[in-house]
Amino acid sequence: MARTDLLNLTISEAAALLERGALSPVELTETVLQRIAVVDKTLNAYITVCGEQAREVARAAEKMIRAGYHLGPLHGIPIAIKDNIYTRGVRTTAGSKILSDFIPAEDATVTTRLKRAGAVIVGKTNMHEFAWGGTTDNPHYGTCRNPWNPERFPAGSSGGSGAAVAARTCLGALGTDTGGSIRLPSSVNGIVGIRPTIGRVSNHNVVPLAWTMDTVSPMARTVEDCVLMFGIIAGYDPLDDHSAQVPVPHYLGDLARAVRGLRVGVIRDYSLAHVQRAVGDAVRAALETLESLGVEVEEIAMPSIQGNISAQLTIESCEPSTFHQEWLRTRAADYGEDVRTLLELGEMYLATHYLQAQRYRSVLRKEFLEGFTRVDAFVTPTLPFTATPCGATKVVIENNQEEDMLSAIMQFTGVPSLAGLPALSVPVGFDAEGLPVGMQVIGRPFDEGTLFRLGHAYQRATDWHTRAPGL
Amino acid sequence: MAPQEPVAIESIDRLCTLANLPLPAERRARLVPMLSGLVAAANELSRKMAHAGYRAIVPIVRFPER
Repeated sequence: MARTDLLNLTISEAAALLERGALSPVELTETVLQRIAVVDKTLNAYITVCGEQAREVARAAEKMIRAGYHLGPLHGIPIAIKDNIYTRGVRTTAGSKILSDFIPAEDATVTTRLKRAGAVIVGKTNMHEFAWGGTTDNPHYGTCRNPWNPERFPAGSSGGSGAAVAARTCLGALGTDTGGSIRLPSSVNGIVGIRPTIGRVSNHNVVPLAWTMDTVSPMARTVEDCVLMFGIIAGYDPLDDHSAQVPVPHYLGDLARAVRGLRVGVIRDYSLAHVQRAVGDAVRAALETLESLGVEVEEIAMPSIQGNISAQLTIESCEPSTFHQEWLRTRAADYGEDVRTLLELGEMYLATHYLQAQRYRSVLRKEFLEGFTRVDAFVTPTLPFTATPCGATKVVIENNQEEDMLSAIMQFTGVPSLAGLPALSVPVGFDAEGLPVGMQVIGRPFDEGTLFRLGHAYQRATDWHTRAPGL
Repeated sequence: MAPQEPVAIESIDRLCTLANLPLPAERRARLVPMLSGLVAAANELSRKMAHAGYRAIVPIVRFPER
């Protein structure tokens, strides 16, 4: 098989070839590592590449598979891991100078589960420093760039994971998502990412950003590939106090179930309001595609949604500033300027501001749960805009009005984060400049399965996910 | 209710004292416009949450379905 063909394999396709011995894990891993060597000089999606370790694991996988021991769909698959997720013996910087020499003695639970499933960890991906920001313009490890146009940002904070998957420098990746950090880079890099219900996937040994909103989850080119990874990492973990004892369904088996009769809500004056025209057009077209598959679309009012940005900024300011309190006093100069400023601001809120924001989450969640008596999922764009130039701190969404990037970028992704709901980002088209547009689908607590079904049905009806950046 | 006044540099000085956060003067000054916007929005949310209909609402710091 030609090298280009190997790089374009999905996890599902590669797993089938590996299982029957038609593809070698060593060949696949070597091809991916060579791809990293070629394109990552431009993209800067990796902080650490684990070349020798990956080759060793791939050789072991090859021996096992040849001997008849195939561990499952991730066995021999090259996977990347965001650099705030612990990897035993491999530097885990969280994109920071402060942790630049941190080599964990333990894996994160999600890392352990991937390793047990036979995944080949090819490297640790670039990210916004300590995950506190949405651009992955990292002052310590360099600016990460978007493979669809390297002058544009890959979003963040899991920007390295998003760029790496889109650029075919891994077949799937792990990211973390607090206010949108998986879904935002999934959208602007034209890939799929899922934020799970809080408690569904273990946060054990993951550097925190905001404890009450943090999650870990996969990013891949197809919904099916996300499901293959999610099925491995989801489930109760006694090492994580926030982990939920909720059974994990057989997502893969449910994927093929028809979506006819499912109901999707569009939130009045919100879902399609205040977005760039290309974004609105792509999401409206995606809703029409879902309707053609038998999904019913209904408009629903949700008055409490106004106020979500302030609540998110308050919580995402106060909680990180609490975690970073000591370092901000002893190592302030080691932070990048933007993160240092945000951490300083987080110390300026009153306790009443923080608690009112947490009370607001209860109101928002109740309103969503009432909405879920009428629909099975809600749809919004993932971002109101497509990828902005690297280094931009302002964005224009409509009427030539410049807006602050941090508030604008969390316009849609902050809502499910606050309400503790799962949300999937799936590619639904491109703007006139060839930059990807993503659609967010928000589900009931612990009902990631319905999101996967809707996303998979959409991808079977469209081909956006098969397009590759011309790097 | 009267519109929110911008945060004064003296308020940031006091908050730094209360938090035992020794910020240089130029960094304190930089925070003024940003904090003014953030605090105005946070106070607006607090006013909303003070509505009588929300009296029974408790903060979410841990999600219930587990």
